[in-house]
Amino acid sequence: MKQNIMTRRSFLAAAGAFGAATMAVPRFALSQDGTVLTVRSYSDLQVLDPAFRLSNPEGDIIRSIFAPLVIPQAGDVWGWKAIAVDSIEQLDDVTVAFTLKDNIGFTDGYGQMTAEDVKFSIERFADPAMESPYAGDWSALKEVEVKDRLSGLIHLKNKFVPLWTTTLPTAASCILSKRAMEELGEKITTKPVAQSGQYLLADWQPKQKTILRRNPDWAHEPGGFDEIHIIPIEDPATAERGFEAGDLDYTWTSVSSLPRLKANPPEGSVVVEKPSLAYVWLGINQDVAPFDNPNIRRAVQHAVNREEVVDAAYFGAASVGNGILAPGLPGSRDAVTYDYDPDKARALLEQEGATDLSVTLDILNQSERLTAAQVIQANLADVGISCEIKQNDSGTFWTLGSKDGDYWNKLQLVLSRYSMQPDPSWATVWFTPEQVGVWNWERFNNAEYKALHEQGLVESDFAKRDEIYKKMQGLMDESGCYVFLTHEVVGIIHRESIVPGQKPNGEPLLSEFRKA
Amino acid sequence: MLYYSLKRLGLAVAIVSVAMLLLFTMIYLIPGDPAAVALGPRATEAMREALRIKMGLDQPVWIQFWNFFVNAWQGDLGNEVLSDRPVAKVVMEQLPATLALIAGGMVWSVALGIPLGCWTAVKRGGMADRIVGVFSVAVIAVPSFVVAIYALLIFAVTLRWLPAIGAGEPGDLGDQLVHLILPSLAVGIGWVGYIARLVRASMLEVLEASHIRTARAFGLPDRQVTYRYALTIAILPTVTLLGVGIGQMLSSAVFAEIVFARPGVGKLVYDAILTRNYPLVTGAVLVTTVLFILINLIADLVVGYLDPRVRSRL
Repeated sequence: MKQNIMTRRSFLAAAGAFGAATMAVPRFALSQDGTVLTVRSYSDLQVLDPAFRLSNPEGDIIRSIFAPLVIPQAGDVWGWKAIAVDSIEQLDDVTVAFTLKDNIGFTDGYGQMTAEDVKFSIERFADPAMESPYAGDWSALKEVEVKDRLSGLIHLKNKFVPLWTTTLPTAASCILSKRAMEELGEKITTKPVAQSGQYLLADWQPKQKTILRRNPDWAHEPGGFDEIHIIPIEDPATAERGFEAGDLDYTWTSVSSLPRLKANPPEGSVVVEKPSLAYVWLGINQDVAPFDNPNIRRAVQHAVNREEVVDAAYFGAASVGNGILAPGLPGSRDAVTYDYDPDKARALLEQEGATDLSVTLDILNQSERLTAAQVIQANLADVGISCEIKQNDSGTFWTLGSKDGDYWNKLQLVLSRYSMQPDPSWATVWFTPEQVGVWNWERFNNAEYKALHEQGLVESDFAKRDEIYKKMQGLMDESGCYVFLTHEVVGIIHRESIVPGQKPNGEPLLSEFRKA
Repeated sequence: MLYYSLKRLGLAVAIVSVAMLLLFTMIYLIPGDPAAVALGPRATEAMREALRIKMGLDQPVWIQFWNFFVNAWQGDLGNEVLSDRPVAKVVMEQLPATLALIAGGMVWSVALGIPLGCWTAVKRGGMADRIVGVFSVAVIAVPSFVVAIYALLIFAVTLRWLPAIGAGEPGDLGDQLVHLILPSLAVGIGWVGYIARLVRASMLEVLEASHIRTARAFGLPDRQVTYRYALTIAILPTVTLLGVGIGQMLSSAVFAEIVFARPGVGKLVYDAILTRNYPLVTGAVLVTTVLFILINLIADLVVGYLDPRVRSRL
């Protein structure tokens, strides 16, 4: 009687056969065709309406499928490039003239793009009834006047300097078909109507892939690839592994991976480091004890070794920032008005009789933030402040300082990061008195700051703007509510076979990607 | 059998109701304003308030719970907050990918676990038994996301045999299967150990039973005694365990879906919780709870059908 059911030999043979079968299966690589570009996006699309977009990746897709008047210029200098317009120029402080290219068509039988469509699309943004979160982009709009079939004038109520930096070169200048939108009668969600861009949305597989295909009817500078596949991957580490496995042509990397990738880039790839516009800071809530005492706030400013915090959190890849405005923007500073001086911090605490202080530091649950918080915790312990770190998921974190909740009057220290557009007003707006309890969680309340913010919006002279915004950050320093840490850095990795189209801060411009 | 089936069905409905009640209670205890999270920093207070009303958050929790149940009973799980798409449709789009992942994990665990369990029972006390014993405990102890990451680094990044991300092209079964190999291995490998241990223990017990000894005494071939008479009885606890295993795999699926950037219900719920997209959370959890209970119900009915002693106990 034979007892063996499975011998070692048969087991090994089966395992070997499985391995061979696995190897024999043709490996499907999305990116090796050369006519398909595969890029990572950090979120899936949810809304394709320019006036209701939710994220930067959506904005980029929208700009690719609904021709905008202009897009940001790819390269290292902030600027713009004409897409739907033949010409566009500022006639005076409150008037912009435009003429559309003559043969841009809408899909689905909605005819040619005209100045009427421009009027409809821009005024739709500003219409209070639309309740667009981006209405502020066109807050200075008076009206759009149609001169003829392709030409018109954009009239502003007042001078608006960010028009050319953070309004026109965004999805706020995308042109929709008036007729199509009136027929639709609601906002566009995930099914675009009347597309007109260099690319068309060919397919959307939720949570898996968005496919853009070159618009066959686009008669101007074509997109660089037949298809662009956009893969939503939230986790940067997953995306890095996807790139290393050959499944992606382009992705952002985590800052912590940058030193490794730069030292040992995967074969056939290029690692790029771009300066970010974002700003990271330690916020101190001036309305909650013990930080209602300005000297205690100043003690924290002197206690934190900013260089140590940034080095530890970003593995030496990022440098210390000195405010909310990154280098290259008006108002960017070389230094803050407080220095790292633990002795001074101890003296201030002693002067105020603040011994055995215990405080809390709220952070978002990300590894870089946790590392930064731990160094801050050690710095504070060094001057006699005990600090408890409280990690929050994103849904909780972004409501901590809201006046609608009750946590704002417990919030003491908070490590924050805001992203930015290339105009200083995008950063300064969040710290005005109106934003107290909205996005101004330090509850910094300064009338002079507010007046300077308004002044900056209508001042076009670079030197004067530089002075205004430096003064505003000086007021922030003086309040003791802020310890500015860094502007971070953006890490990107891409195949040698492509030339990515990118804004100076590394954000991708899908329609500007080209083959090398 | 009919009475047994009705009792199990009633229990299933009660479990779904309690699970949803607990979920509702929990998500309303989580801090964070869903409207603020969904609309971002540029939304005005009026816009946030309008969204709260649209989501029904201005109603008392018990009314929201009641409305959800009444609507869910009619097949309406509400609309997703941001894209305004029906939740049922959003969940159903993701469900096949998760089911494929779990089925793949189940294939790995059954295809490896049952033969290993049988083999070690037959080879009891030998070197093979000890090696498989250590292996079983090891794979049970290692978390699925660790397996996922190492499998990905070896087979996708280093060897480049298999893809690292995605679920394959729709309509291309071969491509989908290739994309399924690593994630399903990550999900199923822990269950290889569980099943191997369980099958081994059951087999050892059954192999000592008098009817097996009798069969051997009559001179029946070992293979026939092991597989036809012993395994068919020893497999019963495994069928019950597989029902539980599917629930466990559903939770492991979240990690696999994130690590391999696959679509799926686990990742859908994870993202929805982070964005406080409550209609999607409740809808997706309801579907997975029903699915889990249904699978357990089927497993129980199969065991009850196979073993009359189980029917008489309930």
